Amino acid sequence: SYYTHRVIEDPEWSLATVPHLTELCLQHIVHNFEKNPILDCLLPEHQRKVLDRLSTGLPLAVTANLISDEDYWKRCCTDRWQVCDISNYGDSWKRMFFERHLENILKCFIPNTTDPNQVLELIPLCKDYVWKLEVDQFLPPVKVDQKEERDDVSDTGSDFGLGEISVHHYDLGVLITALPHLEELHLTYGVKDCGMNFEWNLFNFTHQDCCNLAVAVKMCHNLKVFKLTRSKVDDDKSRLLVRNLLDHPCLVELNLSHNLIRDKGARAVGKLISRSRLETLDLCNNQIHHLGAQALARALAENSTLTSLNLRLNCVEDEGGEAIGRALLTNTTLKSIHLGSNNLSEPTATLFSQVLAQNTTLTSINFSCNHLGLDGGKQLLDGLADNKALTEFDLRLAEVGQEIEYLIHQIVWANREAARLGSLQHPPTKPL
Amino acid sequence: REALGEDAEPKVAEEEEEQRRSHKQIEASRQRLAKLLFDGTQLVTNIQVAADLRETQRRAEEAELKLQRVEKLENEAKSSTYKFEEITSKWALAKEMTIPQELWQLLNQQQQQCALLLEEKNKLIDDLQQELKNKDEQYVQAIKKQSDDIHLLLERMEEQIRIMLKTYRHKLLQIEKAFELERRELLDNNRKKWEEAIQAHSARELEYLHARMRKVEEFEKQLNQLRVEDEEEYNSMKIQLENDVQNLERQLQQMKAAYQLNQEKLEYNLQVLKKQDEENTIIRSQQKRKLNRLHSLLNNLRTKLAKQEKQFREENQSLAADCERITGQCKEVQRRIRHFAVSDAEKFTEVWLMNEEEAKGLMRKALDADRIIHTQQLGLPWEEPCHWFLNNVGPLGHYKVKRMATKLAAEVLTVGSGEGGKGNTAKVEDRVTPLRNISKKTAKRILELVSDESGFLIESKLLRPLRALGRHERTLMKLDSIFAALEIDSEDDLYQLVDFFLKYKAQEVAVSQLPKFAKGRGCGPLPGASWLLGRRRWWKAQCPACWPSLQSSPSGEDVRDPAEAREDGGSSAQRDELKPPRSSPGSLPSVYMHADDVLRILKAFVRDFDKLREKDGSAKEILQVRDSSKDGEYWEALAHVIPEPTLKLWDALAVALEEYYEVLTRRASLLAEAAILQQQNSELCLLLEEYVSSGVNSNLPSPPTPWMDPNLSCPGEAQ
Repeated sequence: SYYTHRVIEDPEWSLATVPHLTELCLQHIVHNFEKNPILDCLLPEHQRKVLDRLSTGLPLAVTANLISDEDYWKRCCTDRWQVCDISNYGDSWKRMFFERHLENILKCFIPNTTDPNQVLELIPLCKDYVWKLEVDQFLPPVKVDQKEERDDVSDTGSDFGLGEISVHHYDLGVLITALPHLEELHLTYGVKDCGMNFEWNLFNFTHQDCCNLAVAVKMCHNLKVFKLTRSKVDDDKSRLLVRNLLDHPCLVELNLSHNLIRDKGARAVGKLISRSRLETLDLCNNQIHHLGAQALARALAENSTLTSLNLRLNCVEDEGGEAIGRALLTNTTLKSIHLGSNNLSEPTATLFSQVLAQNTTLTSINFSCNHLGLDGGKQLLDGLADNKALTEFDLRLAEVGQEIEYLIHQIVWANREAARLGSLQHPPTKPL
Repeated sequence: REALGEDAEPKVAEEEEEQRRSHKQIEASRQRLAKLLFDGTQLVTNIQVAADLRETQRRAEEAELKLQRVEKLENEAKSSTYKFEEITSKWALAKEMTIPQELWQLLNQQQQQCALLLEEKNKLIDDLQQELKNKDEQYVQAIKKQSDDIHLLLERMEEQIRIMLKTYRHKLLQIEKAFELERRELLDNNRKKWEEAIQAHSARELEYLHARMRKVEEFEKQLNQLRVEDEEEYNSMKIQLENDVQNLERQLQQMKAAYQLNQEKLEYNLQVLKKQDEENTIIRSQQKRKLNRLHSLLNNLRTKLAKQEKQFREENQSLAADCERITGQCKEVQRRIRHFAVSDAEKFTEVWLMNEEEAKGLMRKALDADRIIHTQQLGLPWEEPCHWFLNNVGPLGHYKVKRMATKLAAEVLTVGSGEGGKGNTAKVEDRVTPLRNISKKTAKRILELVSDESGFLIESKLLRPLRALGRHERTLMKLDSIFAALEIDSEDDLYQLVDFFLKYKAQEVAVSQLPKFAKGRGCGPLPGASWLLGRRRWWKAQCPACWPSLQSSPSGEDVRDPAEAREDGGSSAQRDELKPPRSSPGSLPSVYMHADDVLRILKAFVRDFDKLREKDGSAKEILQVRDSSKDGEYWEALAHVIPEPTLKLWDALAVALEEYYEVLTRRASLLAEAAILQQQNSELCLLLEEYVSSGVNSNLPSPPTPWMDPNLSCPGEAQ
């Protein structure tokens, strides 16, 4: 009677507006998905509908292992972050979501304050979807109220006072070892965006932290890329890390740039080069002097896997530069070397002209910001005369003179053309 | 990344289009873009490099400052410690001070110095703090600078991106334009080509058209001409054809008449043929029937034939079986015949012997009778008749044939030794002739060789006594035993042996000295021929029993003659050479028989000999038809052992004796009669006496006594 009444009353009413029972059911499923997640037993088109309507705010405990649909996770990601570059995450929205979610949690994790279960609960949910961890901030433990008091008192005194208290960061060991697919680990023990609130203790990578990290990394057998930057890693810590990374089965890339590594640490890294399968090593902006460079050169002369070495912003100087040049006379794997801002001068240039004449694998050399001088430039030009492999040669601000720079640039350009043509002819690899 | 994306496009274009212009354009664009990219990167990284340089400079300055600062601090510390020591040293001085003013002065001084020191320290601290503040400011400045740099970087990057986008777009446009242009050119080219081709085509078409027109005209002219010609031809042809038509019509009518005629004929023929056909059908049916009949007959015959064949086959089989059986029987019969022949021969011999014995008995009797008659009856001297058959025992030819080989050998040898012209040679040579065509010398030589060389065949115990004997006997004895060993027992075997020797030698010589032989071989019989001859003879001799003596003796003499003839030459022949087997000039050449060959030859001989014997064994069996022509003569001769005159004599004698006998018988009968009579007489006498003597007699009316006397006196008269 109600309907008839409606029919009579409402001229716009029609049967078509009444939703189908399946629609209603799906609606119900969507509404109660949190309590009663039903998805796998639905027909594909119904699944599609349910997934389209599901809220992105559902707890991960429900959705993580149940939903593998990319569209849903895409919605999750775009709702949460403005910029989403899926190509950095293996073209998987789900992976992106979980990796960034985990990173966010780790970035905001304050030891002794945040509940560690927050992370531990997430492990079973995200362990299958995390390949890479890129954490560029580790917050130090929140200090007692004194901190604020001290802050009030004076900026200068606070440094002193906080130094005494334990400032260990979150121990990644539990998390990393629980992630079976983890291949890349980018860590920065520091605080972002501190601005004028800068305090040294915000950037304190303690020995305990280092121990924890080293043990964790050692347990992580699938790790391929390990980056620990801007974290005040000094000789002792680097040696500790290297000791744990020796004979690692997978490690291919190691980045310890912007740290405080000196010659001892460099020696340890040299040992790592000869006892691992490292292909890329980045030690830029450290404090490596000629002794460390010599150690690295020795490793380089024996090693046959390393293809890229970056020693930018160190203090290698001519002795170290010459050692590396001599190593490159015999090495046949290294393709790229960066020796910018290393206080090099003519002797290194002389030796490298020899290297350029002999070595046929080296494709990229960077000598920017050194004091090679005009003669050094000439010698490099002479050495380059017969070289056909070098495609990049950076001599900016190296005091070699414009003319020579131009000539070298011409040669390198010609080599690059030849290489391009060769790659066009033989295998259709990626163009420049 | 943009470069990647942008670069891919020209590359794709490159792959798609191979044209020169677009390629060049792409290449140029690519190079420009690469350069631009490189420059842009350079521009952007310049900031980094500059920052690096600043950083290194800063570091260097910092290090220098640090060094200065450390030096300053060290200096300061040194000076302050020096001052402090000075101050402290003065404290010790102060203790020694006793004058308060001095002390106070000193204290003041100390205080001043301490203050100075403190002031210095404070100044240092102030300096450092000032530096720190400066550093803070510098930090702020650095942060500012860095943010500026970052801004600049961002600006440049954005600008770069903008420029890149613009240039890429521009280049893309250019490339597209180039392609467009190229395409247009290509189109133009193609169109031009097309038009040219079309023009050429139409021109050629026109040409063809002209040519065609010309040809048409030509052809028309030709046609007209042809038409005129044809018209003339047609007219003439028409006339001719009309004539022809007339002719043909005439012919047609003729033909029609002929046709009528022919039709009638043909109808008649048809009728006839129909009749014939009917007949033929009848005949055919008959033939068919006949054929069927014949077929059935043929079948019958076939079956019969098969049956017969079968029968014949069976018969044949049975006949074959019969034949076999019969041949078996025949063989059996032959065997039996042979057996019977042998037994017959034996029987014959026995009968012969018996008869001969009987005959000889009879003859002997007759001869005895003759002798008795002659000696006793006639009182003539009787001499034994000498006949050849008298000594004959057994069937004829018995003893003639078989001479032992040894004997022959002995003979041969004696010939050789008795060559010197002994008295008995003639006789012996007569006998020795059996070495038919072989000279005795040769034979002898061979035999001697054999005896000398094959001593091993002789039993050893025989050898010793042999030594005692003379050469001749020794040879003989040796030969005897050798023959025994070689199983040579008949003279034919010996012949064969000698023959074999010669032949063997001849063959050898023939082989080794062929050319030498060529001359000699001209007319004489070949060794093979002579061998055959010898064989035949030997074969004859093998069954001497069957050969009558009369037959064999001439054959022996046949051979004997040449051998005898050869005798003269043989004596003059060289000792070492064997004479050719015949005296004929072209026979075997003389052969030197070497002692070493003897054994070889003997061996071969023994081998062949066995074979020969086997072969001849069967031949020996065959029974020879016995020639009985001489038997009658023999028997006749036996029967007429008593010559005719003697018989006549006997007849006469018989008649006389008959008569005499008659007389005698008469006398005898008379005598018997007389005897009987005498006996009767005597009996009677006796009776008489009895009677006389007995009382009875006395009692009789008449006494018998008168008769008795005549019986007793003449008994012969009764006979």
